[in-house]
Amino acid sequence: MTERIIEALGRCGISRWRINEKVEESAELFFVKHELDTRRIKDTHKFSVTVFRRAEADGKAMVGKTAVELIPSMTDAQIDGALNGAYYAAGFALNPDYEAPAPVRRETVFKAGELASAPLQQSAGKMAAAALAADTRKESFINSLEVFCHRTFNRVISSEGTDVSYTDAVCKGEYVVQCKEPEDVELFAQFEYGDCDAASLTQRVGEDLRFAADRARAQSILKSGSYDVVLSGVNLVTVLEYYAEKSSADMIYPKYSQWKTGDDVQGCSGGDAVSISLDARVPFSSDGIPMKRLKLMEDGRLSAIHGRTDFCRYLGIEPTGEYGRLICENPGSASFEELKSGPCLWPVVFSDFQMDSFSGHFGGEIRLAYLIEDGRAVPVTGGSVNGILIDAQRDMVFSRERYSSAFYEGPYAARFRGIPVAGTAD
Amino acid sequence: MFDSIDVLKPALKKLIGELRKEYAYASVLAVADDTRSWSISSSGRSISSGGWIGGTGFVVRVFDGTGCAEYSFNEFSEDMIPSVAQTLRTRLAAQNAALPSGVRPLPTPVPADEPAVLRKDAVFETDPRELGDEAILERISAVREKALAVEGVLDAGANLSYRAYRKLFLSENRDLDQTVMWTNGHVFALAPRGEELKEAYRSCSILGGAELLDSLGELAVPVAEQAVELLNSEPMIPGEYDCICDPATTGMIVHEAFGHGVEMDMFVKDRAQARLFIDKPVASPLVTMHDGNAVCDTATMWFDDEGVLTGDTVIIDRGILRRGMCDTLSALRLGVAPTGNGRRESYERKAYTRMTNTYFEGGSSTLDGMMASISYGFLLESPFSGMEDPKNWGIQCMVNIAREIRDGKLTGRIFSPIVLTGYVPDLLKSVSMMCPDPVTEGGGFCGKGSKEWVKVSDGGPYMKARIRLG
Repeated sequence: MTERIIEALGRCGISRWRINEKVEESAELFFVKHELDTRRIKDTHKFSVTVFRRAEADGKAMVGKTAVELIPSMTDAQIDGALNGAYYAAGFALNPDYEAPAPVRRETVFKAGELASAPLQQSAGKMAAAALAADTRKESFINSLEVFCHRTFNRVISSEGTDVSYTDAVCKGEYVVQCKEPEDVELFAQFEYGDCDAASLTQRVGEDLRFAADRARAQSILKSGSYDVVLSGVNLVTVLEYYAEKSSADMIYPKYSQWKTGDDVQGCSGGDAVSISLDARVPFSSDGIPMKRLKLMEDGRLSAIHGRTDFCRYLGIEPTGEYGRLICENPGSASFEELKSGPCLWPVVFSDFQMDSFSGHFGGEIRLAYLIEDGRAVPVTGGSVNGILIDAQRDMVFSRERYSSAFYEGPYAARFRGIPVAGTAD
Repeated sequence: MFDSIDVLKPALKKLIGELRKEYAYASVLAVADDTRSWSISSSGRSISSGGWIGGTGFVVRVFDGTGCAEYSFNEFSEDMIPSVAQTLRTRLAAQNAALPSGVRPLPTPVPADEPAVLRKDAVFETDPRELGDEAILERISAVREKALAVEGVLDAGANLSYRAYRKLFLSENRDLDQTVMWTNGHVFALAPRGEELKEAYRSCSILGGAELLDSLGELAVPVAEQAVELLNSEPMIPGEYDCICDPATTGMIVHEAFGHGVEMDMFVKDRAQARLFIDKPVASPLVTMHDGNAVCDTATMWFDDEGVLTGDTVIIDRGILRRGMCDTLSALRLGVAPTGNGRRESYERKAYTRMTNTYFEGGSSTLDGMMASISYGFLLESPFSGMEDPKNWGIQCMVNIAREIRDGKLTGRIFSPIVLTGYVPDLLKSVSMMCPDPVTEGGGFCGKGSKEWVKVSDGGPYMKARIRLG
């Protein structure tokens, strides 16, 4: 099919192009409690072809691009029609021309591990078993579970000579845990692993089953006011993604972010000065750039700008490709127990926790939090956190305990001072 | 449109015949998809198609001794019938062998497969494909220029997207064929305040084509003015207030706060409090809620992704919860009739119970009358986020603007952003006034959990209620 597409590109007179090929296989399991709802399998083979068209406008070199999706069952006439249509359209989506990434040719990078090599049905069964194995408590239980095991082959070819490929494998899913007494409540959670990390999933589900039990006895006693807020796990990751977004060429080129390398973007005063690196989850970017770890921030100062090829070229920097993993390198200056000492609110489950990189606001409705006063942690529910990171980042303090996921590695928690909280017991 | 489906239809029928030799039930959904999106902002001009939600492919559903199983694929021809059957047989056997110990099948009767034949074609005034890329980019560029002309705006952008799809559902007794086109657009504007950027955003939608461009143009100036207005917004003082919800905010409450809780796959899982409230009051007598085809918007379809014909489902009738909406598997498990709400993000995904066009009926109050009835409260506008909580009926919805009302008049003070919280039935029972003429809007997608994005619309009239804001 690749050769058919390249021939068609030639017939259509398209000289600058990129082909992203993706072959995907999946095994998926859906459960209601411990009963099997549905089994699903998938085989797809897709080609996304991006065509570029150069032109001149007002004496400036311009380029337009559009992408089309092709499948192997298409006839040559259908492929020609799709490519001609895309090439014609590209002439109307003109932006300043930019240089494509330097050509790279590599042997296929094969992902290692059980998930990448064992039959997917076996992996799906193993991970489902790992989640269900945590369901041993009396008061809380797994309400429902979905497990998706995917394996892909990915290849990037370009008219400049790039030809790279790699395999990937991911196990992800979601589950709901429920506790019926003293109040009937549930919590929702997601997971994603690059291999069959059964032990981590069992531990994760077990922790959420404990949270569900606490949520069932949580009270709506939170009063509105200003609190020191401890954010942990995925909620802290959501906040730290602000730094990756504000430093992306996508935000800087259109001037949505004013950040420049060397800027003190944190304004640290009395807390931990943030140091962050970005890492990739796959060996090549979507346009074939070999991915390398990137030092993003050092002691609160911006070290680099990252992002897609066109915006990086416009900003006069080398394209980095797209990153998918944030590494917070701060070792932490307090233990998690020290972080939680003194009056504070530790929300562990929100209904939908959000970080708005435009405004700097973070917040969400609290499903379960611990109100910590005088050494006691009281489970509370209801109300919402509504903080502004632009202020709160100055004196935030990280825990020494670490946390790792498919998207993050770094401190498990951070304490933010004086965050507005809307309560339910005013 | 989408002639390839006609070419493959005889082979797909043969596939069903072949699968029925092994399985108690077999069906196939074939999808042919065409999407395109045009955008313009300071990031540049872009045209994209493909790689979006949807896609062209097939999903086979069978029932074996363990229950329901599905196979999604995007390569098919008559020659491949034996290999599709073989793949399904081999991998289902492997999956059954690898199931965790102690797992049992969720009892599910085999679908009845009642006979039905249907053919529906898309209706639109202006085909965006005929209007062409150049003309559409010119039109949305003009929309952007109007927004940029408002003083204080840093950047503005406009977008138009359409999806045209044909779906063919075949089983032994059903032959359903529909072609649908929807179009939506949005305008955003950004205004700076120090490091902070205030953003305003509005969308519009239609079951149709590029005729939507006229509506898009009307959004430009109001959106830009709202972004600038937000520069003077204040943080909300938490509390419970008399509120007027604009139609979009009413729609968010309908969809997020209540709609997700009456998706009946949640009943199967014992995840929805609504199951205990059938035929009981859950809202003010002013509230009547619908889902389905009684309005034409982006989620209008004639059959769902499981081959069930769609209609108008009355969920709440004058304050009384009458029923939920239901996909096929959940209906079989609950012993009720499906409502045509079994929807997939694409042929690659599972079908779940999903909303379509969901809205509150209008009432008889006037907006002036609502304003006059409020001594202190807020007019809520521009919803931008919401999350369901079917088990506990907790509300989390966010709106961009709350306009202060004092003694029946807007004071000019605005607050942002605003989090709506509380208990859903408390809010719905507090509804005291409804304007006529519900308005639906389908610019967005709805997720289930954290994924499974499908096109929906929601809405209602201006509505007065007592709401906790933070």
